[in-house]
Amino acid sequence: MSLLLRVRDLEVAYGAVPAVMGVALELPTGEIRAILGANGAGKSSTIKAILGLVKARGTIELEGRPIHGLATHRIHQHGVAWVPEGRQLFSTLTVHENLEMGAFSRGNGPDFRSRVDQTFEMFPRLRERRSQLAGSLSGGEQQMLAIARALVSEPRLLLMDEPSLGLAPKVVQRLFEQIQEINARGLSILMVEQNARQALKIAHYAYLLEAGRLAAEGSAETLMASEDVQRAYLGG
Amino acid sequence: MALFLQQVLNGLMIGSTYAIVALGFSLVFSVMRVVNMAHPEFFMAGAFGAYLTIRYVTANFFGVLAGGMLVAAVVGLVVERLAIRPVRGRYVLIPFIATSGVGLALQHLAERVFGSDPVAIPPVVPTVVYSLGPLSVTRMQLVTFAIAAVLMVGLRFYVRNTKWGRATRAVAERPEVAAAFGVDVDFVSRLTIGISALMAGAAGVSIGILYTSAWAFMGLLYGLKSFVCMLVAGNRHIEGVMVIGLLLGVLEALVSGYVTSTLRDAVAFGVLVVVLVVKPNGLFGSYSV
Repeated sequence: MSLLLRVRDLEVAYGAVPAVMGVALELPTGEIRAILGANGAGKSSTIKAILGLVKARGTIELEGRPIHGLATHRIHQHGVAWVPEGRQLFSTLTVHENLEMGAFSRGNGPDFRSRVDQTFEMFPRLRERRSQLAGSLSGGEQQMLAIARALVSEPRLLLMDEPSLGLAPKVVQRLFEQIQEINARGLSILMVEQNARQALKIAHYAYLLEAGRLAAEGSAETLMASEDVQRAYLGG
Repeated sequence: MALFLQQVLNGLMIGSTYAIVALGFSLVFSVMRVVNMAHPEFFMAGAFGAYLTIRYVTANFFGVLAGGMLVAAVVGLVVERLAIRPVRGRYVLIPFIATSGVGLALQHLAERVFGSDPVAIPPVVPTVVYSLGPLSVTRMQLVTFAIAAVLMVGLRFYVRNTKWGRATRAVAERPEVAAAFGVDVDFVSRLTIGISALMAGAAGVSIGILYTSAWAFMGLLYGLKSFVCMLVAGNRHIEGVMVIGLLLGVLEALVSGYVTSTLRDAVAFGVLVVVLVVKPNGLFGSYSV
C-alpha cells in the first residue's frame, strides 16, 4: 500500500508555548486515520501545520514530495482539502458560491457542475438550499456544506477537524456513515476528533496525542481494547 | 425650488466622487482589516497623474483619465508593499500607523516635486453648459458623475459576479479558509488595493479637472470625508457606502446653498458625530473586527 501522507518530527509553537512536540504520523492511501486527544493536546495544530496555516518544523510529505514550507494555497493545489473545526463556511456567500470557492483552483466548467451534482446526490438538502446564504443553514446542513465544499476540489487527502462538534447525536451518527461512504469511494481521510468512540468505529488506525506528544498509536481495535485508552478517552 | 434642485444636482455630481473614494477605502478595510490612511494620497496621485499626462503625453480626456488612474494604481502598490504587506495580520493600529506614515511621506514628496502651491490643470473638457429649465450642469460635472457611476456599477459586478470578486468576499470573511481552498490571499490583497487606488485615482482626475488644479495636500479633506462615509454607512454593504457618499455631497451642497459655504466642510463631521451617537455600528451595520 502506498503512503499518501508522512509527517515526521513535527514541532509547532505559539510564541514560547509549544503545542506539538515531535509528532510523527502516516496515512496510507485509502485509509481513514484519526488523531485523538483532549482539548489542547495539539490535534488542530497538527492539522493546521499540514495545511501550512501555522509555522512548523519537521517534514511533511505528500506521496514522497515535501510540502512543508509551501504557502497554504499551494498546498491545496497538491490535493489537500480541509473541513475546518466549527465548519467555517463563507456565511455571507450562498451555498452554491461556497461550492464554487471549494473548486476555486479547479475552475467551474462542466467538470465542476458534475462534481456539484455528485455532492448534491450525497447531500440532497444542499440542492434545495443552493441559493440560500450559508449562514442561514442549520448546524447539520452547515457540516454537509463544509464537507461538500472540500469534496468539489477532488482532493487526494481530506483533513477533517472535529466534524462532530456541536451536532446532535442522531446527526453525528449519519455524519460518520457519510464519512465512511466518502472513504469507500477512495478518498484518504485524516480526522481529528474528541469523540474517540465514534472515531474509532470508522477509523482504521489512530494516534493519541497528550500535551503535544504522541502517547499511543495503533489499529482501532487495539486502541479500543487498551485499558489505558478506555479509561482516559472512552469513559469506561 | 429651483435653487433646491440645482443644489441637489450639484451635490450628486460631487457626491459621486466621495462615493468612489469611500468605496475603495471601505473595500480595503473589509477585505484586509486595514484602515488605509494613505488612501487619500491615491486621490492626490490621480490628480497629479492627470497633470503629468496632459503636460507630457496627451490632452485627450480618456488618455488623461487612464494616466491618472495608472499613477494612482502604482502608488497603491507601493503603499501595499511598504506599509501593508510587512504588517499583515497585525493589530489594526499597526497598519493604521504605518499607512499614516507613508501617506505623510507621499504628501511631502508631492510638495517637493510640485511645490507647495496648487499646480494648474488646463481644461481638457470643453466648458459646455447644458440647461434643463432653470437647472444647469456643465459637461465636466456630467463626465465626473458618469465615471463614478461606471466604476460603482463595475465594482458591484466584480464583487458579486466574478470569480476573483467571490474570492475577495471569501477572503474578507475567512482568509485562512480561503487560502486553504487555493486563494492566494496576498494576491487578492494587492488586487484590492489596486482597485481601490484606481477608483480614488479616477476621482482625483475628475476633481482635478473640475477645479482645474492639483495640490499636494488635496487628499486630506477628501480622505477624512471618505472615512466619515465608511463609518456612517458601516461596511456591510457596498451599496450603503455609495448612498452615503452621494447623500454627503447633496447635504454639503444644500448647506452651501441655504446656509453658508464656509460650513460646507463641517457637514461631514457633524453627520459623523450624530450617527456615532445614535447608531455606533453605522446606518447599514458593520462586521465586527
